[in-house]
Amino acid sequence: MLASRIVSFLRQWRPAAWTFYLTISLVTFGGCATLGSDTQSSVLAAKNRVAPAMVHIRPVKEVFIAGQRREIPTIGSGFIISRDGYMVTNEHVAGDSSVVWCVLSDNTEIEARVVGADPDTDIAVLKVETDALLPHVTFGRSDTLESGQMVMALGSPHGLARSVSLGIISVPDRYLGDIGVMAAPYNNWIQTDAAINPGNSGGPLINLRGEVVGVNSRVLSGAENVGFAIPIDIAREAIEAIIEEGRVRRSWLGLQFQEMAARTDDPSARGVVIADVSPLSPAQEAGVRPGDLLLQINEKVVDARFEEDLPYVRKAVADLPIGETVALHLMRGGEPVEVTLQTEEKVATKGGQVEFSAWGFTAAEMTPELARRAQMTERTGVLVSGSMPGGIAAQAGLDQGDIILKMDDMPMHTLAEFSHAYQQRVESQQRLVMLFVRRGAVTRFVLLDTKTPDTDTLEKETLDYVD
Amino acid sequence: MWIKSLLKMTCLTLAFFATAAYAKSFEPATLQQAYEQLHEAVCVLTFTQEATDPRSGEQERQDGTAVALVVSPEGLLMSNGHLQLENIRSFNFRVRINRGDEQLEFPAVMLDKPEDVNLSFLRIQSDEPLNLPFVRFARGSALRLGEPVALVGIMGEAMGFHRSVRVDRITAILDTPRTTDCLTEGLRLGFVTSPVLNTRGEVVGVAGFELDPDEGGGMFARAGHPLVFQTEMFIHHVDRPPDESPVASPAEEAWLGVFTQPLKKEYAEYWGIAEPGGLIVSTVMPDSPAARAGLVPGDIIRSVDGAPVRALLDREVYAFTKMIRESKPQTITKLGILREGAEILLQATLGQRPRSARDAEEVTDETLGLVVREITRDVRILLNLGEEVEGVIVRRIISGSPAHVAGMRPGIIIMGLGDQPVIGLDDFETAVARLQESRPTEVSVFARVGAQTGFFRLMPRW
Repeated sequence: MLASRIVSFLRQWRPAAWTFYLTISLVTFGGCATLGSDTQSSVLAAKNRVAPAMVHIRPVKEVFIAGQRREIPTIGSGFIISRDGYMVTNEHVAGDSSVVWCVLSDNTEIEARVVGADPDTDIAVLKVETDALLPHVTFGRSDTLESGQMVMALGSPHGLARSVSLGIISVPDRYLGDIGVMAAPYNNWIQTDAAINPGNSGGPLINLRGEVVGVNSRVLSGAENVGFAIPIDIAREAIEAIIEEGRVRRSWLGLQFQEMAARTDDPSARGVVIADVSPLSPAQEAGVRPGDLLLQINEKVVDARFEEDLPYVRKAVADLPIGETVALHLMRGGEPVEVTLQTEEKVATKGGQVEFSAWGFTAAEMTPELARRAQMTERTGVLVSGSMPGGIAAQAGLDQGDIILKMDDMPMHTLAEFSHAYQQRVESQQRLVMLFVRRGAVTRFVLLDTKTPDTDTLEKETLDYVD
Repeated sequence: MWIKSLLKMTCLTLAFFATAAYAKSFEPATLQQAYEQLHEAVCVLTFTQEATDPRSGEQERQDGTAVALVVSPEGLLMSNGHLQLENIRSFNFRVRINRGDEQLEFPAVMLDKPEDVNLSFLRIQSDEPLNLPFVRFARGSALRLGEPVALVGIMGEAMGFHRSVRVDRITAILDTPRTTDCLTEGLRLGFVTSPVLNTRGEVVGVAGFELDPDEGGGMFARAGHPLVFQTEMFIHHVDRPPDESPVASPAEEAWLGVFTQPLKKEYAEYWGIAEPGGLIVSTVMPDSPAARAGLVPGDIIRSVDGAPVRALLDREVYAFTKMIRESKPQTITKLGILREGAEILLQATLGQRPRSARDAEEVTDETLGLVVREITRDVRILLNLGEEVEGVIVRRIISGSPAHVAGMRPGIIIMGLGDQPVIGLDDFETAVARLQESRPTEVSVFARVGAQTGFFRLMPRW
């Protein structure tokens, strides 16, 4: 406030007075800042430690909208974590991108390779190849954070590179539940009032020692100063796994959990509520039922009274060795029950997508999770992710959400199978193609007439809602 | 000067022609006559409406006014169909009729809503026999595109609900699914259900709106645009008012249990069928008469009981649905099927049409704040619920109730209450009764939300 008043003064006054007021203002500042002079120097020192390792990221992302595959340039933030050129950003920034351009702090522009990306923690690791030894950040710890502690966010809000903002931790372990798809099953979030905006995604949240304590990822839209960062402890595990194996492997049992408070307010109640058991999952085959209470996984005691305890339970399951036998200690109707089962590897919710441009639509692989959400009893077919307005598919009535079960009476089990059948028909110029399609509980026949007169359809601009 | 007078002449001529064209459409005398003839049969209906928000279950009441037409001297009234919707209940009807200088007021009761047209019928309640002036509808008078029409309606409350006339035009005529005459946009509320007159002064229909599919309208409803409901679309209800007509109860309706689509030209070409037309079986409901008869998706129905089926348009599917529905359950139906090029004959015994959500039974529990219904076949299809999903569906949540506070919403399927599994309404009632005895401080509800199951904890105030 004071500073801005002085600035507006400076603009009105002659150079002589300029110096005069500048001196005054410096004096005033000096006077005011005695209390926090340490703070100012800490902020500067912390910024100086991290700023050289900052990266402005410009990926070209592959998106599927309105039945077409498009590539759109986007902007995000990232930071270098090793002198040989590993960098960290968000999965939602660099995932599904065909090329990732990085601008380093010395303005060098260099192309990075995506080493791997993990949607469950929203972490992506990039690598640049360079002979120079790069400046890099150091990791702090996120389990010792407390609210009120000062933190800074660095990055490129709205593409404005080299931006720094200061704030405090509002809540160190905020639980964000399902928002359509589960956003972060394995972690709570650091909530901060340090300004975070679109474009900050993938940038570091640092403490005043200049250590990275979080990866800025999300904001609450419509709110102000409510930003969220992934705690570095959880990010670090994902980063290490990606560098080692290119991805994060997790175990899956097919269990969905709820906090004990969903069933009882009794503080002495122990365990976690099993809310749902996925069909065809190890847990279902072992006879686990919704309503059972899970008390122990092998030797590990699990307990979730409130929903913010749930990420730890989910992580305890995910961290189990894949393909190994595990014992679950359950409580069913007051009686202890023990079941043993074998863990499976968790597969991605989101399947790959392909554009079928000749027919004007895009389709995605039907993953077990998508099949479950579509309430299908078996995993088969391909999921239509969009149809281009005015295209052949759209004219035949094929729409987003349809599940194609058969093409010309041949069952289509995978996207690869469908792509192959599509290629054959496009090459042989088959005019009429019959699809057998499921939507909800109802199936129907959809006939594609690939020689409809207006095949060169309007190029509709539909990109405006993508950020 | 000369030019000026010429201009003046032209203007005058134009004005003359304009008047002539107008006069040709509706002479003031014709309009006056229409007004005289109809204004006593056009009356003001007041009522109270209770709307339920389908998402929150919240109920809101408000008073409303509508146009009602007296359509019989004994006091049969016709009004708009939006008075009765799935989530809207209207009651407390009173009708005000102008009789010379006098104003008469009567209570009225709602009759069953017709299924084929979005109109409501009411009957005036009077101890004495009535002999009211009423609207006489002309039949078989098709309107032409661009033809002017006159409407007799009511003005707003500020104008004392005075009767008024309005001239409109037929702006479009749609052929499918049935002939639909469109009026210009912006029909005011006081003209909804107003009589529509042609230039000869005949009442050929009433103005109105169709239901949106969200409101229960059919797939091809022409919602949102003012239309003319021609005499033929509703006159049978005037002749035989709903509550007196022998309404087929849903239990008497038959079903086959298939979804079909028409065998259009390209589909016939694809399957190498020389003659297009027929019904492609696209879905066979599990455990239905069709499934028992051996129908499979891809079969093409070409005849029913020997009568050929040659459906080419989507609406022709509805004709088939209607025919099946109007049959008697247990009727044995012979279906001529084209399967992989061969003609076969299948015999299906029609079953009883499963109850629809409209007729579903409902149970209310005030303590927990739940209004639940049985899961009917149509809801099962709509929500894509497998046969293995059993329970009751939440229809409404009473605001501020324990269920509301716990975050329960309409559409959730309750599968367990307390320790009791809930398979149907009876189980729900039993479980509630047990809870009322034991009065626990917290009640666990096992429920299904979309594709996922989970628990809600309710804290009832006994």
